[in-house]
Amino acid sequence: MSPQNEQDRSGGGGSVPDGGAPADAELARLIGAVAAGDRAALRALYDAAAPKLLGIILRILQDRSAAEDALQEVFVRIWQRAGTYDPQAGPPLVWLGAIARHKAIDRLRQDKAARLTQAEEGWIERLADASDGETDLARRDALAHCLDTVDAAQRDCLVLAYCEGWSREELAARYDRPVNTIKTWLRRGLLSLRGCLEAA
Amino acid sequence: MSEGAFPPPFWAEDPDGAAGEYVLGTLTPSERAAFARALEQDPALRAAVMAWERRLAPLAATAPAVAPGPQVWEAIEARIATPPVAEAADLRVRRLERGLRRWRFAAGGAAALAAGLALWIVAAPRPATVGTPQYLAVVDRGGSLPALIVRVDLASGVVQVRSLTAETPPDRSLELWYINEGAAPRSLGLVTEATETIPVPADLRDGVARATFAVTVEPKGGAPGGKATGPVVYSGRLIRD
Repeated sequence: MSPQNEQDRSGGGGSVPDGGAPADAELARLIGAVAAGDRAALRALYDAAAPKLLGIILRILQDRSAAEDALQEVFVRIWQRAGTYDPQAGPPLVWLGAIARHKAIDRLRQDKAARLTQAEEGWIERLADASDGETDLARRDALAHCLDTVDAAQRDCLVLAYCEGWSREELAARYDRPVNTIKTWLRRGLLSLRGCLEAA
Repeated sequence: MSEGAFPPPFWAEDPDGAAGEYVLGTLTPSERAAFARALEQDPALRAAVMAWERRLAPLAATAPAVAPGPQVWEAIEARIATPPVAEAADLRVRRLERGLRRWRFAAGGAAALAAGLALWIVAAPRPATVGTPQYLAVVDRGGSLPALIVRVDLASGVVQVRSLTAETPPDRSLELWYINEGAAPRSLGLVTEATETIPVPADLRDGVARATFAVTVEPKGGAPGGKATGPVVYSGRLIRD
């Protein structure tokens, strides 16, 4: 009963899904304070965002201790680079998530450890799961819809790369195709995705 | 030299596709490194990357949250306690100094503020002992107009707090804190309209060059039990005057 209610409430407004706005404003304020050298603000930012960021990192670096190392690097980087955050350019969680994902990918490529190739299917399905609904609902629904319009193999490559950090070579092995074909798939997939999102 | 002297960068043909692949993480290591360097210089590439980060972010949000172990924060805290990279610390100080200069210019346009500041700078007594450093913190909201000027004068042993634009929410008090490296915040009292003069606390005297100042919103009359409870609304670090 209550999950249903929650779904109704969050999806009900439809046009202006502004549910994440106060949290965004708070995170942006904390990042501003961190830029001024405020350690307490970094701690507050850590409390608010670290579990989500660790989740993002763990999908890419499946080893827990490597992932926690990367998380540490992420927050040191946030401490050093908070002054470069531009609220006009995007919501704070997008900026924070990008730092986490890029750090995880850099580390994955560095370690060169063979991927455990346990592709977790179902990230796209989770897009449609309202219980994860802390992100902007309109953007989430648009992305779910538009991923659905992308050619299946291209879409899977995009999702495996973005969510789990698969490289072109790893995707080439998985799909038994030349690396250049994978590159073409990725570029075409991105192009159709952008076209769909911009038409929406 | 002709334009052909340097080969065009790999992304010249399809910059948006390259930005997308950068975000996906599928560029080759050398492409990725070159692209990351170019990002520092090229606002158009940065915008293309940010657009992809925004488009794909809902997919990042599908990752289930996982609570990190307590040792992660401890490690972070240890690394930010002493400025690990001299360059990073310098950057912060420079930013504060720049902010101060900018604000001096800006104050020229705002008569009331300018008068207040001029009085502050000119009328503040010079220390009797030459060579005893004075420290100044411009406490701001992360780059916007300064809200407070905190001056620590070790010669006369006083902290002076001058409120400029700090706005106090109704039924609340603003409280000023100093945070010595690795220590808990200690109160310097409430922020009021008037200039406050406070004796320099002994533990601030020792670590003054690396102290951080912050202002929090507290219940009327100040934080209960001397521990900050409210959100940090302003913060800043000291620079040598």
